[in-house]
Amino acid sequence: MAENKKTLYIDYNLCIGCESCEAVCGYLYGHPRIHMTRTSDGITVPISCHHCANPACLKACNVNAFYQDDEGAVILDPKACVGCMVCLSVCPFAAISHSRSGPYPVAKCDLCAERRAKGMLPACVEICPCGAILYGSPEDIEAELRQRVAEGIVQAHMHPERFGAEVGLRAMKKSLSVEGFAVDPASRSEFDAER
Amino acid sequence: MNAMNYAFLCAAPPPPNGLKTAVIGSGPAGLSAAGWLACAGYEVHVYDKLPKAGGLLVFGIPGFRVPARRIDDAAQKLTNDYGVRFHFCTKICTQDKVCESGDEFVQEMVSLSELLHEFAAVLICTGSWRSRKLNIPGENLPGVYTSLEFLFPLRACKLAQTRIAAPQVEGKNVVVIGAGLSAVDVVQSSLRLGARRITMLYRRTMDEAPAGRMEIKLLRQRGVHWVERATPLRIHGGEQVQKLVYSQANDPEKKEMDVDFVISAIGEVPTNPFPRELRIEDVGQEDSKWLQMTKFDGVFVAGDVLTGPSKIGRAILSGLKAAESLDGWIKAHRLDHARESTAGQEESHG
Repeated sequence: MAENKKTLYIDYNLCIGCESCEAVCGYLYGHPRIHMTRTSDGITVPISCHHCANPACLKACNVNAFYQDDEGAVILDPKACVGCMVCLSVCPFAAISHSRSGPYPVAKCDLCAERRAKGMLPACVEICPCGAILYGSPEDIEAELRQRVAEGIVQAHMHPERFGAEVGLRAMKKSLSVEGFAVDPASRSEFDAER
Repeated sequence: MNAMNYAFLCAAPPPPNGLKTAVIGSGPAGLSAAGWLACAGYEVHVYDKLPKAGGLLVFGIPGFRVPARRIDDAAQKLTNDYGVRFHFCTKICTQDKVCESGDEFVQEMVSLSELLHEFAAVLICTGSWRSRKLNIPGENLPGVYTSLEFLFPLRACKLAQTRIAAPQVEGKNVVVIGAGLSAVDVVQSSLRLGARRITMLYRRTMDEAPAGRMEIKLLRQRGVHWVERATPLRIHGGEQVQKLVYSQANDPEKKEMDVDFVISAIGEVPTNPFPRELRIEDVGQEDSKWLQMTKFDGVFVAGDVLTGPSKIGRAILSGLKAAESLDGWIKAHRLDHARESTAGQEESHG
């Protein structure tokens, strides 16, 4: 792993699906590289490159068009790319996009390489109103996530009336812990019956 | 860990270009536009009727979804690092008295012509602050709210200087009409406030709910009652709302429900500050060379007021595009102006 590795992490517990990240990415690059995707249940989530330490796309590429920069970002050299899309089929996150409108057939997140060269952060990180997109070293991201879980656990203990008996478990799931869980056995029976 | 930054397009504040622009409204569209313009060297003045920046992002969407502090810090950064000046509690209007949520805070009124006199260009980002009405009998009874009338005081009452009271739903029966994201926000806020029984009433089925099946399922897990394919017909009550009459699907039988609060969350409509002078529907209809410019030279429009209620991301994109267009217009305009004045000089010399 690159010594000064930095990466992007999306905290889906905090994301509200507002499309801000996709909007600024599209504004900057013509075609967004972070994709809002609606699930069959109607929740919209952004899908983007995880900049894996061992990238499947890099290994699978027929023409070696991928490389990792000195911060560990997985970059596609568009001039080398032939547009075979094998990278998309091996990517566990379907984070590579086919670009009909752009100058090159395939595009992917480069963690805003040009911006980083000027000492700026990836644009999606700066525009997310919820703080759901983190950028930093894996250690920084880990520490921030642990902090968020800790806040959730403490909140759950301070407001047991909101969280009911399932404090520990619920607190692990931050979206629920932040929200609270009105656990009233009578009102839950309807839902349980449905399940 | 990573702070929000509306001036994300530049690494550092640029040297001033000596021009002033005004942005009306400090929601997502207004703040993004202010950031864009600040990065181009403009002196940006942002006007808002409320005492804080953020618009519906802060005053409409509950804090457990969008942390108000993060938006506040981002606005502060625009001021501290980029010299953006905020004029709060100030409404830009004409003689027409328009009433919508948030007007309680207005202390000062400024007219569009005053702005046009002072600034090279003006961008209108006034959002959608009026809620659609149910148009059924009993709608004006105490206890009947629109989603904004309900959600706005929840945030606004936290500001020290206000006398606005949050709706007291603790231990009460609440009915929410609609199944969009603002309906979900109203339901979640009511849950947090300790409502006794919450019912969601929607004209179509769960699969068609704009908020998505999952949100509705999560609310039902938390004890919310879900009534679908239902149409509210009448609201009964005296001092306070008491009963909601509705019909369901093809059932001719009318049903009744005991209620203490009825909150309609059936969408918002754009709030154009100059309804008489400006038809925002016309923007983009004529072959204007300048994207998002109104029929008035140098007056641009962006965000929900242009597109109708939409997502935060679309408002941001609209704000960025309008700022870019406004900058292009100012530059072209000044060029024309310079050319005209040189032409004038030549004539006088000849």
